[in-house]
Amino acid sequence: MSQLSTQSDLVAPFLEIKNAQIIYDNAIEAVRDVSLSVAEGTVVALLGSNGAGKSTLLKAVTGTLHLEDGDLEKGSIHFAGRDLARSKTDAIVRDGLVLVPEGRKLFANMTVEENLTMGAHLKSASELRRLKQTVFELFPKLKERRSQTAGYLSGGEQQMVAVGRALMAEPRLLVLDEPSLGLAPLIIDAIYETIALMRRELNMTVFLVEQNATQAMNLADYVYIMENGRIVLDGPAEKMRTNLDVQEYYLGFSSGGEERKSFRDIKHYKRRKRWLS
Amino acid sequence: MTYLLELLSSGLAIGAVYGLIAMSFAIIYKSTGLLNFSQGEMSMIIAYVAWSISTGTDGNPFIVAIGSIGFAILFALAVERIAIRPMMGEPILSQIMVTIGLSVIFRALVTLLWDGLPHNMELAAGNALVDFGGIQVRVAQIAVVVMLFVAIAGMWTFFRYSRFGLAMRAVASDDGTAQLMGVKTGRVQMAAWAASAVMSGTAGVLFAIAFELSPSLYGLGLKAFPATILGGLDSVIGSAFGGLIIGVAENLVGGYISSSLKEIAGFVIIILILMIRPYGLFGEKRIERL
Ligand SMILES: Nc1ncnc2c1ncn2[C@@H]1O[C@H](COP(=O)(O)OP(=O)(O)OP(=O)(O)O)[C@@H](O)[C@H]1O
Ligand SMILES: [Mg+2]
Repeated sequence: MSQLSTQSDLVAPFLEIKNAQIIYDNAIEAVRDVSLSVAEGTVVALLGSNGAGKSTLLKAVTGTLHLEDGDLEKGSIHFAGRDLARSKTDAIVRDGLVLVPEGRKLFANMTVEENLTMGAHLKSASELRRLKQTVFELFPKLKERRSQTAGYLSGGEQQMVAVGRALMAEPRLLVLDEPSLGLAPLIIDAIYETIALMRRELNMTVFLVEQNATQAMNLADYVYIMENGRIVLDGPAEKMRTNLDVQEYYLGFSSGGEERKSFRDIKHYKRRKRWLS
Repeated sequence: MTYLLELLSSGLAIGAVYGLIAMSFAIIYKSTGLLNFSQGEMSMIIAYVAWSISTGTDGNPFIVAIGSIGFAILFALAVERIAIRPMMGEPILSQIMVTIGLSVIFRALVTLLWDGLPHNMELAAGNALVDFGGIQVRVAQIAVVVMLFVAIAGMWTFFRYSRFGLAMRAVASDDGTAQLMGVKTGRVQMAAWAASAVMSGTAGVLFAIAFELSPSLYGLGLKAFPATILGGLDSVIGSAFGGLIIGVAENLVGGYISSSLKEIAGFVIIILILMIRPYGLFGEKRIERL
């Protein structure tokens, strides 16, 4: 599968983050010197445990850092030629970079259909009709539930609405922040099947943030692993799946201890890191 | 019987005044989370401007209506841009302090630009008396009730069927996520301020015609605010009914029990209702489920 590893080298990256440093409240450094790129047509996964800085990076990508007093202090973020550090969220969405936020964030008091309509906020009335039809074809269940209050749906259904709402903006790059969060394994499988389907059918580029590594790694072409605000490991998914460190840390093939260890505790990683720096 | 009808009809009229101003509180609160404590003062300033237009045009009702609506919109947009927009993202308490500051400035402006005396707003069309089965009602009193129902129908349609109304509800529910959909919250805030000024301005002008124009007109805001709480702070339409309830209750208590209890009747009702329904009569309960 050398095709995959060369893809990101040859094709100009769609999303490119270079040496990003992100600071909250002028004091808390949440992301330190992160570089990452997503090539068009690929699925890239960013893995990392709680507090690694994954969502923070996505806030920078969607132009919403300022809402939480965050700031891209150093580095640059570009999407399809646009400088995201200097862009407003509505312009970013218009360009086709759309986020399914962590925890779904539905408009709880609105119906399913109203939530979908909000997803197409920047679209005309006729585009809205067409997109709604597409999304209802993809998720027949949402059509059934269209007039129900979103806040009372089950977790899995809510995630479906969240993904459907993002699709209403016709993303060229769909960004998902922990789509499996709080869902039962069977539902997670369904969500991942949907993402795989969108990639196949709609030829969508996907940037996936997860703690749940197994699923994400099976779907992704390229994987980054983030810890304490930094990328500590990255590579084509094929290689990452067979990487001993990754197996031990993320995929649960532990060679001893019960708890999840930090990368820092794993010898391979230490050696590798020393070698890298 | 006539006495009861008289109390009810004038109660509905004053209740409609409260209702329109209460809707103004609610629409700003709903879309931006801010309580505009200068709402009554804005209503008063618009009434004074309407009075000036009226005296300058021999009381032509159309010119007064169009002129004061136009002024209300410009006035609200200016206040929003100059005083409120720069405070976006600041702690909500600081924003509320700004509106309290504005209320003091507006009150001073009225006595500075006009005077401190009560006036009759001479608008023949509005002062005319209509006979309603034995009860005499002023046209302005009927007009304010009609305007309230126009506002209710308008707001209901707007929030239910228009894309921008939907976006306003989205901002009310979660502004960060609404921005992720491409909603410009600044525009939503401008629209909310403009709509609130038109509604509370209408209330102020019609009140001035039906009763009198004086620098204490801002007190309507103090009466309308509890009506907003009663209807549900985030329920624009509920606030309208909150106003009607308080207006009618005040009049009935004042007419049948004692005029000294009139002023507190509304507040007693509010306390009773909030004990049973803490979100107000029509307020949306937050859906906590994840
Ligand atoms: N609004 C904020 N203000 C200050 N610090 C924040 C803010 N949001 C996040 N942080 C801090 O930044 C760091 C990274 O948080 P972030 O939410 O990006 O992690 P994450 O990788 O998404 O974690 P999770 O998997 O739990 O969602 C954490 O230490 C967090 O406490
Ligand atoms: Mg996160």
